[in-house]
Amino acid sequence: MYRYDEFDERFVRERVAQFRGQVERRLDGSLSEDEFKPLRLKNGLYLQLHAYMLRIAVPYGTMNSRQLRQLAHIAETYDKGYGHFTTRQNLQFNWPKLKDVPEILDLLADVEMHCIQTSGNCIRNVTSDQFAGVAKDEVEDPRPTAELLRQWSSLHPEFVWLPRKFKIAVTGAEHDRAAIKVHDIGLKLKRDDAGEIGYEVSVGGGLGRTPMIGKIIKDFLPKSELLAYLEAVMRVYNSEGRRDNKYKARVKILVHETGEDEFRAMVEEEYAKLDGPTINAPQEEVERIAAYFASPAYETLPETSATLAKAQANDPALARFVEQNGFAHKQPGYIALTIALKEIGAVPGDMSAAQMRAFADIAERYSFDEFRVTHSQNLVLPHVKQDDVPAVFAALKEAGLASANAGLITDIIACPGLDYCALATAKSIPIAQAIAKTFADEERQKKIGLLPIKISGCINACGHHHVGAIGILGLEKGGRENYQITVGGDASEHAALGERLGPGIDAADVPAAIEAIVETYLGEKQGGESFMETVRRTGPEPFKAGFTAFIESRTLETEAVG
Amino acid sequence: MAKDHRAGSKVRGDKLPAILMASHLLEGDTVFLSESGWTLDPSAARIAHDAETSAAMEAEGKAAASANIVIDPYLVPVDLTESGLPLARHFRDAMRQRGPSIHPDMGKQAEFAPLD
Amino acid sequence: MTLITEQGAVEDRFTRADTLEAALAADGPVLIPLWLVAEYAKVRPQAEFGLSVTGSTAIEDVAPHLAKVSLVAVEFAAFADGRGFSLAQKILREGYQGVLRASGPLIADEFADALACGFTEVELPETLANRQPVQQWLAAKDTMSDHYQSGYGRGPSILQKRHAARKGASA
Repeated sequence: MYRYDEFDERFVRERVAQFRGQVERRLDGSLSEDEFKPLRLKNGLYLQLHAYMLRIAVPYGTMNSRQLRQLAHIAETYDKGYGHFTTRQNLQFNWPKLKDVPEILDLLADVEMHCIQTSGNCIRNVTSDQFAGVAKDEVEDPRPTAELLRQWSSLHPEFVWLPRKFKIAVTGAEHDRAAIKVHDIGLKLKRDDAGEIGYEVSVGGGLGRTPMIGKIIKDFLPKSELLAYLEAVMRVYNSEGRRDNKYKARVKILVHETGEDEFRAMVEEEYAKLDGPTINAPQEEVERIAAYFASPAYETLPETSATLAKAQANDPALARFVEQNGFAHKQPGYIALTIALKEIGAVPGDMSAAQMRAFADIAERYSFDEFRVTHSQNLVLPHVKQDDVPAVFAALKEAGLASANAGLITDIIACPGLDYCALATAKSIPIAQAIAKTFADEERQKKIGLLPIKISGCINACGHHHVGAIGILGLEKGGRENYQITVGGDASEHAALGERLGPGIDAADVPAAIEAIVETYLGEKQGGESFMETVRRTGPEPFKAGFTAFIESRTLETEAVG
Repeated sequence: MAKDHRAGSKVRGDKLPAILMASHLLEGDTVFLSESGWTLDPSAARIAHDAETSAAMEAEGKAAASANIVIDPYLVPVDLTESGLPLARHFRDAMRQRGPSIHPDMGKQAEFAPLD
Repeated sequence: MTLITEQGAVEDRFTRADTLEAALAADGPVLIPLWLVAEYAKVRPQAEFGLSVTGSTAIEDVAPHLAKVSLVAVEFAAFADGRGFSLAQKILREGYQGVLRASGPLIADEFADALACGFTEVELPETLANRQPVQQWLAAKDTMSDHYQSGYGRGPSILQKRHAARKGASA
């Protein structure tokens, strides 16, 4: 993975000193709260319901054991002994004190980490495919691009006061695991007819109040022109994006209101005026960054491991874990393993300091000292020797990290919701916990198969509910929490927004409503179809009918009891 | 936190009795205006029963915000328990009085005597 | 109003005028809005003057005047409104080499960005200058010694410095 050089090191250190100064100037009144707020947000510091929250950048979701051990140390020293992985591949601490934040930032800088631009109206932490460098269907590893963008976007003088937040995702694979179509800019590495590598550029995707799928504004951008082209996009957005209404300030609204073709023409006009060579990264610099992402020193091994096969035959739990959480590795004899932070009844994405340390040991010993954070609030051990899987599984079990439910109905994404968040209108995590408990039975989960449920506790959609196969949105209605349910959302290359099934329901009714939706699926399913395949074939109608029937039965029940 | 997300203002009907809630600037904790200064303890919150008192409390909150002690003070309509303790009427304010529902071991509910 | 350059606080040579009468009555060079330029230049074709534009002004409307003015003041509606930074870049791209002023309730923490985008001075309302005196501005501009982006500021970017270091090492 990437390592800081003297410039990166000094940059991060000076950024810490800058923030320390900003805190002092807030306390002595030089900065008002209105002025300080965006400054602290650009350093990942929010004020939530009970305390501040610090969001730490995990650039494109890649970390090593030393970094995770430092996070464990911070969690125990300055927080309440745990951290929370988010849908942006970042990590949040929920209880830091403002006075401690500069020290926390120092500790992060010690392990080449920071909180730069994890919030605020600027270019946010760049996200990517959690299987980057591992997947067989990859044209090129997206991480060097993501790292270049991390550097280029860090304290960009022109683009730190944008109309609204701006999220960039990069994928190098055919199968989109980075949800690029629901990002402000989505980059897909591809080859042109001549075999040259470049990017397909989408702009204007996003969730939130007005969910939209990104539009392709450039079919093929030569790799060397990336920064200049993005600068053109950003300048058009910074100049023309709406600033009169924060709900209409994202670039998706500009693209929508301007029209895709007109927006493309504006970008091209700006791009034509730019002096590309003075903006683009020197080729040697691109190569220097890429060299950090060379494959680790794999052993030459047979495609499959006899040791693992034998162990799986003797241990059904191990077999289930490998089947459900294993991901095919491009290197023979290796496997990538998803660690689902989704034990039944646990808080999705939470990890205790003890688990962090145990997991750091596992990653160091068995995965070339590297792991990934996924946007599903899970972790990945990207390079495990198949021979080592039984030992890894045993160590994960010991740490309470061996849930064999990756991608299943209990592997739920949930934003922090009203339990922590100042913006939330309803609870989110308790809904996830209740659904997971309802479907706790392993055989039942297996029968239902892949079914990503995504829950947001407000319209801002941090839980990505629009692109959940089943999406749940918590709102406030008449002084109560109320939940709307959608089906058919998809964040992959088949990006689609879910359709609402009917009126909102009470929290207590959500698990049973999900059961009704699952029953509809099992009834409609043909052959080996997954939930999403069935929804794509049937459309939402049967699900709406099933949901309506559920609501009617609930009303009758309530009347009978009442 | 953004003013447009304050929950207390969404409560319909009578805004009294009320308490004054804010966040402590340096610590970040939720704090309540008490009879003398700010308190972390939700049971120690001063309760306004009339408009005059609530206006005075609001003014005190504004002054503390100007003095860089607290952030975003606002009046929270409450109901009183049998023992006279203030329970926020809106579920969001109630969450701030107690702490996260998913972690009974954290926040006010873990640090202070329960309100109800 | 307080005017701050990289060197510190300086006197403002320009007088703001919103009407032709005021502009003609002023001693020394005036700073006038875009819509007043044609009228003013007709009466005082040889006079030195500055042009005031909002951050949302299109470069096409600004460009024709750039050769005639010695100051362009970009008005920031709010410190968090970054349009002026992009307009500054577009103005420089037109070849403008005069004084480029960021005017409005900017905060010291933006000084480095303003300079990197091509502004040469910042004009602050007095209330803000009282809260964030000149010393804070001068300190803020130097907190970060490097930047990653090529094409901004005077010095080379980190990417360019690395490149140069490697060339030096291999030469």
